[in-house]
Amino acid sequence: MDTNMTNYVLLSDSKHAKLKVITTRSADYGDNVKYAMTFPFEFRNIQSCYPIFFQKDPETGSFFPLALFGFDNSENLFLSDAGWEAPYVPIMIRRQPFLIGFQQDADDPEAKNAVVSIDMDNPRISETDGEPLFLEHGGSSEFLQKATANLELIHQAHEHSQRFIEALIEHDLLESFTLNIELDDQSSNQLLGFYTINEDSVQQLGAESLASLNAQGFLQPIFMVLASHSSIRTLIELKNKKLES
Amino acid sequence: MYRPVRKIVIVGGGTAGWLTAGIVASHYNMGSEIGPDYKESGSERLEIVLVESPDVATIGVGEGTWPSMRTTLQQMGISETDFIQQCDVSLKQGSRFDNWVTGASDYYYHPFSLPQGFGETNLVRHWQRVRDKVSFADAVCQQGQLCDRGLAAKQISTPEYAFNVNYGYHLDAGKFATFLQRHCIEKLGVKHLLDHVTGVSSRPNGDIDAVETKLSGPINGDLFIDCTGFAAILIGQHYDVPFRSVSDVLYNDTALAMQVPYNNENDPIASHTLATAQSAGWIWNIGLPTRRGIGHVYSSRYISDENAERELRDYVEPIVGRRQAEELSLRKIPIKPGYRAEFWHRNCVAVGLSAGFVEPLEASALVLVEYSAKMIAQQLPENRDLMSITAKRFNAKFSYHWAQIIDFLKLHYLLNQQHDDAYWQANRNKESVPESLQDAVMLWRHRPPWVEDAPLIDELFSSASFQYVLYGMGFVTKESPISQRNAIVAEAKINRLFSDNLNKTTQLLNAQPSNRELINKINEFGLQKI
Repeated sequence: MDTNMTNYVLLSDSKHAKLKVITTRSADYGDNVKYAMTFPFEFRNIQSCYPIFFQKDPETGSFFPLALFGFDNSENLFLSDAGWEAPYVPIMIRRQPFLIGFQQDADDPEAKNAVVSIDMDNPRISETDGEPLFLEHGGSSEFLQKATANLELIHQAHEHSQRFIEALIEHDLLESFTLNIELDDQSSNQLLGFYTINEDSVQQLGAESLASLNAQGFLQPIFMVLASHSSIRTLIELKNKKLES
Repeated sequence: MYRPVRKIVIVGGGTAGWLTAGIVASHYNMGSEIGPDYKESGSERLEIVLVESPDVATIGVGEGTWPSMRTTLQQMGISETDFIQQCDVSLKQGSRFDNWVTGASDYYYHPFSLPQGFGETNLVRHWQRVRDKVSFADAVCQQGQLCDRGLAAKQISTPEYAFNVNYGYHLDAGKFATFLQRHCIEKLGVKHLLDHVTGVSSRPNGDIDAVETKLSGPINGDLFIDCTGFAAILIGQHYDVPFRSVSDVLYNDTALAMQVPYNNENDPIASHTLATAQSAGWIWNIGLPTRRGIGHVYSSRYISDENAERELRDYVEPIVGRRQAEELSLRKIPIKPGYRAEFWHRNCVAVGLSAGFVEPLEASALVLVEYSAKMIAQQLPENRDLMSITAKRFNAKFSYHWAQIIDFLKLHYLLNQQHDDAYWQANRNKESVPESLQDAVMLWRHRPPWVEDAPLIDELFSSASFQYVLYGMGFVTKESPISQRNAIVAEAKINRLFSDNLNKTTQLLNAQPSNRELINKINEFGLQKI
């Protein structure tokens, strides 16, 4: 989901001592996205605001879960002049402009160290505004420490998410769907290319499957996805409001 | 005496044997513990035993399939990802015929997709008005253009067995047989016996009672399927069912096959089978992910083995260089074109090369196995009395299929305009053309092939195939007024079909990965089931 306009470099306290990161939510800073990748660990927070669907990565064909913010490309219905108007902002949005990477340990060829990269072309980067990354006399700022913790969380979540998807496929729970939405101006909008969890298939799961899904921590996120479907209404309401204004 | 059909013995373990085992076993859900088995008829489950000699080499050709193989594998419960990863598979969108018309750098495609709007509108007559500007295949279908550029029939995000444009496979037949074997044994409950068949014991009525084996003694059965290849142990050696030769129609009687490596492991993989005409035959070129299969099929009446080998090595030289072209080893395969007078005789049915064989010009070998096994599965007689009826129907249907294949292959030769070679001239000789084909060509001079021509609903070659070959080879249909009035279609609709095809072609040319890229991705990530 990173656009081609990125320029990631390894974050260094010497080179980037004066860098700041703007945390304002706005289209100017690239928040005008239709969706963001999400992870099962945050589904509970996501589902209360956004519908959770699945999509295939065009490069690998593999599925990933996403939180939907709008119907058209670059449309984020939660974004206004006042910022991002929802109680929870997905972690993949909050991680910007950082990325986690791994470097081989110089002493131990078996070990890999997590390293933080930063996208130097990201509009959030500034030398005047925003949160400083490093303290005046050296050491990471609280902001950077939190960002780093988020990156580690994302890294672990990726693996968990992959196993979650595998379980959904194994139990035949995913299905493709097309959503037709008629708006107040009588225009009809179609959501194509998304996948979701089939509620009937979940209800037909046997005791053994349910126990196994539960033991792996997948049962709760499955129901969170199903619950998130009611957030489609929120999206439609926001879209209708936008049409009125 | 009432004899239920409960036990099927398949003799021979090449692709024919294992495909047949898999198709029949999956049809009866034999792999499932609780599946609907044969209980309905008040008896025990259906049982399939495959007896295979441990040291008979399989012939290992038949590297091209039809799109039907996708359905066949899917119905057997096979993951397409596993199949592609384990059988050295690439995706095939059809065939390209080089130098078949004049011999001077001409070519045409016989793609797997039906012409645009096929079934409702016959575009031939409308294409004929612009035939000087665009080939028939390009006017009505996208695959010629995709194949020209080595592009793939699907994307990595396209689910298993689904497609952007229709496709079959190129595969390694040896690996395929092994792959099917494992699936049949582990998932479908087929029993596997590695043993030599030493003889056949009969019942008083002439049915086969058992095949005798060296180590395990007699293997009894109710129905015996002969998949023993050219040896035809049951249908030929035992029953001596006559073989109808068609060597007076299809002249090719020998094949020289070689495996040709790529120069680099990421060299492009062709999206089609390439068939290039030679002085007395043609050369196939099939691109698998790890190698090419290339071979020369020719008539020994018109060219010596030595010269045929020369033509083959000359063909390979620009691909791998002179030194390697001279060093690659060859395998000689005799071709006796023809088929059995009966395929199903008493309680024995021949499937695969034991039933018949023709040159692989349209990759008809494996599809005939699929069709045969499907009919055996779907119409498996409940008892021995009914079997005679099934056999009669099976024989009628497959005699028709074989005759149609032979007509269709002959059509590729019949329309040539080459003058120099005796072989090509002889192929135009009217005496060598079956009457059914002569009649058809006569009709097609006045009206294009169309859906209604077909007497069967499960024709092997639909009228679309005949269209691609006829008009690919420059055939002209001068429609009679009655034929034209037969099909008056709004001009707007015709234009829409042609422009739909153009738009789809442009779209696909921009979107599709190369065949090589797709295979690499499937090997790395696999395809999704949905």
